[in-house]
Amino acid sequence: MEQTQKTIQDKIRQKAKELLSSKKVDLIIGFGEGTLPLRATPIFVRTPEEADRLIWNSFCENNLATYLHKLNQFKVGLVVKGCDARSVIALSHEKRFKPDQLFLIGVPCQRMVDRRKVQKAFEGEILRVSEQGDEITVEGEDFKKTLKREDFLYPSCRVCIHRNPVKADVLVGDPVEESSLVEVHPDVKEFEKMSPEERWRYFEKEASRCIRCYACREACPMCYCAECFVDSSNPKWIEKGLSPSDIDFYHIVRAYHQSGRCSGCGACERACPMEIKLTYLTQRLNQDVKEMFGFETGVDPDAPPPLSTYETEDRQEFIK
Amino acid sequence: MNEIATTNHHHEFIHMKNPYLPIPAVVKNALVETSDRMLRTLELRFLNEEDAQAFSFVPGQFCELSLLGKGEAPFGIASSPTEKGSLKFTINKAGVVTTALHHLEEGTEVGIRGPLGNGYPMDLFKGKNVLVIGGGFAFTTLRSLIAYFLHPENRNKVKDITVVYGARTPGLLLYKEELAEWQKRSDIKLVVTVDQGDKDWKGKVGLVPNVLEEAAPSSENTYAVICGPPVMIKFTFPKLMALRFPNERIYTSLEKRMKCGIGKCGRCNIGHLYVCKDGPVFSYAQLEKLPKDY
Amino acid sequence: MKLKLDKKNFIPFLQSLMDEYDLFAPVRLADGVSVYKKIDRPNEVDLSLRNTQKPAKEIFFPQSETMFRYEKAEKENRVTSTEEIKRNRVLLGARPCDIQAFALIDQVFAGKDYTDIYYLNKRKATTVIGMSCDHPLSTCFCSSLNGGPFHREGSDLFLTDLGESYLVELLTEKGMAFQKNKFFQKADDKELALAKGIEEKAAAKVKVSVPVDGIEKRLDQMVESPYWDRIQEKCLGCRVCTYLCPTCHCFDIVDEALTKKGRRVRNWDSCLSSLYSQETSGHNPRPTNRERTRQRLMHKFNYFPKNFDRIACVGCGRCILYCPGHFDIRQTIKEIQKGGEG
Repeated sequence: MEQTQKTIQDKIRQKAKELLSSKKVDLIIGFGEGTLPLRATPIFVRTPEEADRLIWNSFCENNLATYLHKLNQFKVGLVVKGCDARSVIALSHEKRFKPDQLFLIGVPCQRMVDRRKVQKAFEGEILRVSEQGDEITVEGEDFKKTLKREDFLYPSCRVCIHRNPVKADVLVGDPVEESSLVEVHPDVKEFEKMSPEERWRYFEKEASRCIRCYACREACPMCYCAECFVDSSNPKWIEKGLSPSDIDFYHIVRAYHQSGRCSGCGACERACPMEIKLTYLTQRLNQDVKEMFGFETGVDPDAPPPLSTYETEDRQEFIK
Repeated sequence: MNEIATTNHHHEFIHMKNPYLPIPAVVKNALVETSDRMLRTLELRFLNEEDAQAFSFVPGQFCELSLLGKGEAPFGIASSPTEKGSLKFTINKAGVVTTALHHLEEGTEVGIRGPLGNGYPMDLFKGKNVLVIGGGFAFTTLRSLIAYFLHPENRNKVKDITVVYGARTPGLLLYKEELAEWQKRSDIKLVVTVDQGDKDWKGKVGLVPNVLEEAAPSSENTYAVICGPPVMIKFTFPKLMALRFPNERIYTSLEKRMKCGIGKCGRCNIGHLYVCKDGPVFSYAQLEKLPKDY
Repeated sequence: MKLKLDKKNFIPFLQSLMDEYDLFAPVRLADGVSVYKKIDRPNEVDLSLRNTQKPAKEIFFPQSETMFRYEKAEKENRVTSTEEIKRNRVLLGARPCDIQAFALIDQVFAGKDYTDIYYLNKRKATTVIGMSCDHPLSTCFCSSLNGGPFHREGSDLFLTDLGESYLVELLTEKGMAFQKNKFFQKADDKELALAKGIEEKAAAKVKVSVPVDGIEKRLDQMVESPYWDRIQEKCLGCRVCTYLCPTCHCFDIVDEALTKKGRRVRNWDSCLSSLYSQETSGHNPRPTNRERTRQRLMHKFNYFPKNFDRIACVGCGRCILYCPGHFDIRQTIKEIQKGGEG
């Protein structure tokens, strides 16, 4: 596995150098070494020499597609995991960039490690991390332990069934085996077991920690409105303080705006400083879209998104 | 010290004065200034006599006008300190608060917080000539400045007063009554110009920068004050340079999005200076050293 | 004066505080997530996390705060200010970095021209019981900014965790008023030595590593530097760093209205928000992320020092830990000191 990671890393660098030298792209957005253990950081590379800063490991957790909106006047080479590639397809349906503007460097994803879960398993601060195949070795001031990667994956990664980028201009590794079809997302299954009152209490409790920092919104590639509904003053939908009903409104409406658009990448949850659970809402809505329209976000580059297309054969029995 | 104020307005004070509480005032008069109906001058008087007595300002200062339920917005004081009994503000209808201010009837209550800001450097102008250049509806505090110096008590504080004021059309000129009065006077040289005349317009037609060039006031011992839309300033500034005005003797009043108006909320900074507290009046010598954050 | 508080008595001690004061201390909201809150029950207090997510400035400068309530009427509008503090307060468990930040924000809100009465009333009414850091994180760089894990300035009382007890140092007049608290006992030499050892170990962990000397002058030369184009690339423009920063103090003022009644509120705001400096005319002096990130960094390391002679950063490291784009301000400072290279 470590061999594969290094191989992937080398291939990413090689491809990046190629694309930059031939001026096929203006820049590459990928991952570089983070300043903290358990972290990789988004980097923007513009010369072949800089391409050696690109890395690949189990901490490449960001969805880099969110940076495309700022750069839509450039030709961009983008390093994408399976989920990121789905976001790119969803964005292309929404005409967020021209067809030949992107070059997707697709990485068959080994699934990302939940850095918070790893840190929480230890009393002391983790100071060094190294990966060896299916294992991660963490070191602190007075401890050193080897963990199984499998036990510390992000929840969204554990249930991912689209690890291979659906549409990429190049694949920098051999495709990985996809998990057997997961009918219903486990978080959604858990949620559905609850009564409506329990569901509301669960949602309210999670949302009550919200500090309106909008990290979820900014980390999400699908949130790109020039004026978000929370910032509108005329009409003013909600206030800007910490009133629980306003916070609840924000999260519910943002989830609805993701219906059929969210790829389940989990970037929102990873960005949230208050560790609020978020993907269960969007995954539930995606489930509905799948059942009603037979559509799944970003897996078919040619399938038009159902909520922004009109066919005469559209279902209408729910219109009363 | 607990103070319960007079009958018309109920305030609860606790020892130090709370600078965020608006002082109650009432609309004495309102008139629409311009043909497009976008500019309206409100004349406000304080509800309580002691607030009126305590309010002392210099031209160039501004107030935050407060409408309960809508919010606040900053406006330059258009009336001069010599015009007692009321304060005048000219409001451009643009957003939530300004639209509400446009709909106020006489007798409605408005809150005032002020006077805020630094005002024009009146001490520096003493004994000097003053050149005032205004464009469009940026003329508000310039009215205050000119009216102040034209008052008999103050006229001999400065030497020559030259004013160049331009608007896009005659209908968009502010303070038409005052302009007519000032035209008649011999102790002020006033040139009013429009970009485009109409069939009744008998005055000058020409852009402010060109009219200024034509008037060619001397820069010797003269301070220039310029307020107007960015495009006007962009083209007028080189004319001032050509007339040899140094940056230290050119002043302007800046606008920026504000909230507290007292240098606490952080919003209106340009570099380390706050437009609400260290401005809104700045010399170009000061602005040269600051980031172009406006 | 140095006393000690046996951990066995911690809960009753908290109760004794709550009998006389409104107590504010860290409360755990979820595993790994804590904020400062007004304590309703003593066992809510959780000092186990290195540092909270939201900084202690919240106690004096709440994220959302009513300034006054109003009621509109035919002849008279009624405005009632909410500036009064009814009961004295104790802030327990704040770390030296957060406490240092109070002194910085004091300068903005006290000011010689106007007084922010909401902030100051709370400040005056509060006794600060600081808590030393026996295990600073690798992201802490307080010592580079005139602070340190045992920095006592700003604390009225100062606690050090000795394992079975807390060492309690009474540092100011406000602190000395607590010497009669029935749960404080005399600290013996062994305990004093233990505390000293912990302090030395902690100080050694946070070496001065971030070069801030002269950064203000550096930045004077860099206002139009292409560095700002590069540094803003991975910034998402969210508000995590601003809201978790102990020294950030920008706020918005809005009216929340029902038909006749309402209130004027202030809420935290961030200069990184795209609408922050947007004018009603449509003009925005900071139209892109480049201008906004420049503003934030210049404010902390150039503008604030110009006004108050101090850098507006206390090295708490929260922005490093929580930035979703994995921005590291220590790296930024080093790059700025090299004129934007690196």
